[in-house]
Amino acid sequence: MVLGIPPDAGDGEGRPRTHWSRRSLLRTSTGLGAALLTGGALGGCANVSPGATRVRLWSWLTGMDQYVDAFNSAQRDVHVELSVIAAGVSGGYAQQTNAIRAHNAPDILHVEYQALPQILTTGGLRELTDDLDDLADGFLPAAWQGVRPDGRTWAVPMDFCPMAFFYRKDLFDDAGIRAPRTWEEFGHAASAVRRADPAARITTFPLNDGAFLAGMAWQAGDPWWRIADGSWQVGIDRPGTLRTADYWQDMIGSGRVGSAGTGTQSWTAAMHKGELWGLLGATWSVGMLKKSLPEDTGRWAVAPMPTWDGEPANGVHGGSAFGISAECDVPGAALTFLRWLSTDPAVPRIGAKITFPSPAYRSSRRVAREAYDDSYFIGDPVHDVLDEAATRVPAWTWGPNALSVFSAAADALGPVPTGATTMPRAMHRIQSSAVATMRARGLAVTNEARA
Amino acid sequence: MTTTTTTPTTTTPAPSPTAAPAGPPRRTSRRWLSGIALAAPFALLLLGTVLVPMGYALFLSLFTDRLSGLGFDGYRQVFTGLGNYTSVLGDPAFRDSVAHVALYALIHIPVMLAGALVLALLLDSAAVRLRQMWSLAVFLPHAVPGVIAGLIWGYLYSPGIGPLNDILPFDPLGDSGVLPSIVNMATWQWMGYNMIIFYTALQTVPREVLEAARADGAGALRTALSIKVPMIRPTVFVALVFTTIGSLQLFTEPLVLRTFTGTVTSTWTPSLYIYEAAFISNDYGRAAAASILLAVASALLSALVMRLSARRSR
Repeated sequence: MVLGIPPDAGDGEGRPRTHWSRRSLLRTSTGLGAALLTGGALGGCANVSPGATRVRLWSWLTGMDQYVDAFNSAQRDVHVELSVIAAGVSGGYAQQTNAIRAHNAPDILHVEYQALPQILTTGGLRELTDDLDDLADGFLPAAWQGVRPDGRTWAVPMDFCPMAFFYRKDLFDDAGIRAPRTWEEFGHAASAVRRADPAARITTFPLNDGAFLAGMAWQAGDPWWRIADGSWQVGIDRPGTLRTADYWQDMIGSGRVGSAGTGTQSWTAAMHKGELWGLLGATWSVGMLKKSLPEDTGRWAVAPMPTWDGEPANGVHGGSAFGISAECDVPGAALTFLRWLSTDPAVPRIGAKITFPSPAYRSSRRVAREAYDDSYFIGDPVHDVLDEAATRVPAWTWGPNALSVFSAAADALGPVPTGATTMPRAMHRIQSSAVATMRARGLAVTNEARA
Repeated sequence: MTTTTTTPTTTTPAPSPTAAPAGPPRRTSRRWLSGIALAAPFALLLLGTVLVPMGYALFLSLFTDRLSGLGFDGYRQVFTGLGNYTSVLGDPAFRDSVAHVALYALIHIPVMLAGALVLALLLDSAAVRLRQMWSLAVFLPHAVPGVIAGLIWGYLYSPGIGPLNDILPFDPLGDSGVLPSIVNMATWQWMGYNMIIFYTALQTVPREVLEAARADGAGALRTALSIKVPMIRPTVFVALVFTTIGSLQLFTEPLVLRTFTGTVTSTWTPSLYIYEAAFISNDYGRAAAASILLAVASALLSALVMRLSARRSR
């Protein structure tokens, strides 16, 4: 247990800790909170070998407790202490940013690709360019690019979540609908679903989820941010995104797709009632479907994301990486753990029992494929579809204000179902507010707004 | 906090040595000391939990984190004077949030306080049976934690899950329906609480005054309006102050409803605006400035209500 560590166990840097400092007390209380939250999950770390370097980790990754247990029992030099924090924008980032400001950040921080540049603006992460140089070719190129927004490496990629279209193959087959390959076909399929069952929809477009919206726009090939000549080029309403927005405006306006948030009660109810025949999801949807709809075994299939004009391209929705705090005293030990977490085949093997692992490290993807039981799904093998998707991700850079853009997007798109605004109009609004906010904070910005 | 212990009445209390009379100079210094000792817990708590955080917020509100270039090399904290205040006041999102709480307060405060007062008067009148059961029933919503209550109402409002969407002539989560929905949630939660306060105050109205009124031929309604309500007016004003401040700080209900509808934006009330600025956009200076503005507005409004109350009771 976290509290089982004697206070004089030392820092791992040869400095014995003789008294309880305010920070270690705080640390212990957060550790205690996490221990209470995760119950007995941390029970495995009762034996800390003397002299082991302690590394503090904050994360909300599913299964992290088990990865940490496995790491701690596999070697004796580094002891990782996990504190489970709230996920991302529901509190995790606020907690981490506050800790960075207060100079008591943990050694390892949880950052998603989309949040990395925003966290970098706090100055709280350590540059890892030279430390990870040897792994450059091991990762999926898009994941590697995700932790190197400016050509320097700032985090270790963990998983990577390309999007895909999940659909009720049983219902599609009964109604004689084929899985759509292009967005045009998707529109026809959506109408066919409505004809087959007036209460049913092919999917929802969650208007409250800016990261989802970005993932959909990603596919169209106009990244919202780019870095050129040391300045941010912001283009949230460029042609690719506007094409996406136009399309979904039409789909929502004509009632062919719903707009409720994924995971909301009404969404869950519709899934259970068989009134949603599809889901624009990502790799993590595999585990979610299996867990929340066990009665649907043998009904769902996964297909590649429909494309614009048959041009294969894939957006991404989510994915975690881990950074090391700029004030970390034990970067070597933290890096040892992160390299293990990111590249060791034991991790996807453990992960395959709890969830659907989608590692960013390529050889781990092969391990995950062998370890995962995909008998829930019918149709094309899940890994074939998602591995293919992972290789056709266009270039994309997240901006230093991505999280606030997501929140602005949810605000701007909220009135779309009532007709008070349209999606393309909302995109223009998001663009101008994003540019204004970035300029106000002193960043170098080029406005790429469509005139 | 009691320091006395009950002693059996049969034993004769021995004079305690500390109770021995002391000379005048010692007494004043001891009085001084005990005064400080008694005030210290309050003073320390006030200092630690109110004054120091407010001072820090005031300090933060005068600075901003200035980034440069791509922003990856961290920020510099620079003094901006009143820059954060002008940017908050000039932000249409902040003005919208103020308009939302103003409208909310205009509906919620009269409805909730009038409802609580009527219920308290009914409870206080002789006609009610099962008085304790009724007061408990009306108070019970206040015992439900705010987030839980928000979720319950959110489900009730949701189309396809709760019945309200089908029954009501408007969409309770729609553009114009969400404000009444939030008013309803808050009224449900606070009416019983204020009713108990009013009812307790009504208990202290001297019975002889009521008897005199009855002897003069006043009916129940007349007694309530001309005797009871004027006599508990100070209590009503205190409740008004608390409710006004609470309305300005509206946070939980809209935050919970955000997960049910896109109508409630991330900056729907000033408190949500502050939350968004601090914890989503990491703009601590702007968040601090908005907090200070909210605190000043609350203080001014409370002072206004108190002054109004003082003038009325004269």
